[in-house]
Amino acid sequence: MNTLIIFGLLISLMLTGMPISISLGLTVLTFLFTLTQVPIESVALKLFTGIEKFEIMAIPFFILAGNFLTHGGVAKRMIAFATAMVGHWYGGLGLAGVLACALFAAVSGSSPATVVAIGSILLPAMVKAGFPKRFGAGIITTSGALGILIPPSIVMVMYSVATNTSVGALFIAGVIPGIILASLLGLTTFYRAWKYQYPRQAKSSWQERFRTLKDSLWGLLLIVVVIGGIYSGMFTPTEAAAVSAVYAFIVAVFVYKDLRLRDVPRVLLTSANMSAMLLYIITNAVLFSFLMAYEHIPQEMAAWMLSQGLERGAFLFMVNLLLLLAGNVMEPSSIVLIMAPILFPVATQLGIDPVHFGILIVVNMEVGMCHPPVGLNLYVASGITKMGITELTIAVWPWLLTMLAFLGLVTYWPTLSLWLPRMLGMIGGGGG
Amino acid sequence: MDSKNPIMSFLDHLEEWLITFLMGGATLIIFTAVVHRYLAGLPIPGMQDFLLTINLSWAQELTIYMFVWMAKFGAAYGVRTGIHVGVDVLINRLAENNRARFILFGLLAGALFTAVVGSLGASFVWHIAHTDQTSADMELPMWIVYLCVPLGSYLMCFRFLQVARHFWASGELPHHDHSQVDGIEKEEDINWFGMEDDLHPHDVHEHAPHRNR
Repeated sequence: MNTLIIFGLLISLMLTGMPISISLGLTVLTFLFTLTQVPIESVALKLFTGIEKFEIMAIPFFILAGNFLTHGGVAKRMIAFATAMVGHWYGGLGLAGVLACALFAAVSGSSPATVVAIGSILLPAMVKAGFPKRFGAGIITTSGALGILIPPSIVMVMYSVATNTSVGALFIAGVIPGIILASLLGLTTFYRAWKYQYPRQAKSSWQERFRTLKDSLWGLLLIVVVIGGIYSGMFTPTEAAAVSAVYAFIVAVFVYKDLRLRDVPRVLLTSANMSAMLLYIITNAVLFSFLMAYEHIPQEMAAWMLSQGLERGAFLFMVNLLLLLAGNVMEPSSIVLIMAPILFPVATQLGIDPVHFGILIVVNMEVGMCHPPVGLNLYVASGITKMGITELTIAVWPWLLTMLAFLGLVTYWPTLSLWLPRMLGMIGGGGG
Repeated sequence: MDSKNPIMSFLDHLEEWLITFLMGGATLIIFTAVVHRYLAGLPIPGMQDFLLTINLSWAQELTIYMFVWMAKFGAAYGVRTGIHVGVDVLINRLAENNRARFILFGLLAGALFTAVVGSLGASFVWHIAHTDQTSADMELPMWIVYLCVPLGSYLMCFRFLQVARHFWASGELPHHDHSQVDGIEKEEDINWFGMEDDLHPHDVHEHAPHRNR
């Protein structure tokens, strides 16, 4: 009964269009003042301690690093490198766009940031080179989503906060699925470019390739710093995030000089603005999970679902459906913070690996970012290309279908996500 | 938002300055602590001994507190810039006068929630101030640390009321891209959490709520 009241209230409050953080908070308060004996003081304490974990601080740091990196320099050189490597194949600049997005995703933890960084430079260039606007927009909108699958990833940090799964293991688990999704998106690009005979770039010489590699080395080194640093145990993920923020600042301001020192406060303010919004959702989501745990809701739901004879395959199918639906109305961080604590207990009882489950959720979030009505990537791409949302929706579908097929693969083939972290001894091996 | 009033404009700047400083400061502190830990592990005579005399164990705690403060005041700033995401798919498809009602309801609900939380926080701080609780590493009095809950929440409540009043008068909501100085805004400065999408309610153009009787 209480479960119904809590969710009914939350959903009605959310549908009025108020901020998600406020709906979560008001649900908790209403419940506390009317239906339970949880001491109110413990709530005040939770308001502070909810985000008092060092792991959570990776989020503002990765946002800051991402905002420094979107300022041209790094993205421009990665695009040049990618074009020199694959620009002469079918798909030309489009294929280079997929590769550049994958590279940028390896230094940025956010999908829309990747779309901004790569798209704002590459899309005008593609139109100039004679590609249809839709082709480029479709590629960048979907490839940008790699930002949250290829580590680092803000959404993975959110999942780890919600379920106490190791961020490091999740990051490493994202590498192989990320590379495979990038290849699949590249194949789709290649196929369509071949079918419609889109222009190709002249083949670059090895000197040219080497030169562009050297130019983009500062950006590429960051990949080594983040992934290598976390894997070798030199940094915790949060420290790696802070180091990459400072590194990105130095590269943007002093090495590539595409950001002036006096613009830095503005970047800091924008990053603080974005991070505070996410941290505020976390605070209230923590309150909400505290309330649910107090009422034993996740356990009861898990017990009920298992008593219905739910098995693994059907559960995963249901999770995908639920998350894809949620992706129609909310952005990834809120979905993960609200849904993960509810679904996680069932998943663990069905013997699903927490890391595999995390990657599955992230891929679902990627799909949600690329289709209307709330796909952030779509809106960012619309801002860059000045194309309407409807036209963009038509533009993305071939890549979106690829992504859905990939979601099926990730869902029913756990080894894809678990092989690398197991090999590196970051999670237990064996069964599953 | 019109902040012609000098006190308001001072408050606006103080808010922006505070969260900018906390963001930059926390990043530098953790970076310094990491570099220090790494360098102190290198067997360089003289430098190693010197570095080992510096104790940076408080860095992590300070960073967390700075970020919690940043989160509380940044959330208030976020109301002013209209960045908080919600589920607006439904209300953005309603007729304007109905949408206006939902938007006002949402803003007032925000004000109510933050006022309650601010008061809970204030009584909590009052209670803690009569104990001698201090933080683990820096031994700061905990009531000062927790002060961000009432201060930030009351400020956020004030911002919700401010936005509600402005919306009542004009039918406009704050948008990140409009609140910036117009002019040479570069394409890269897109704030993807502050866009005119279905995660935020749209403005009411035809009928401002107060004319909508």
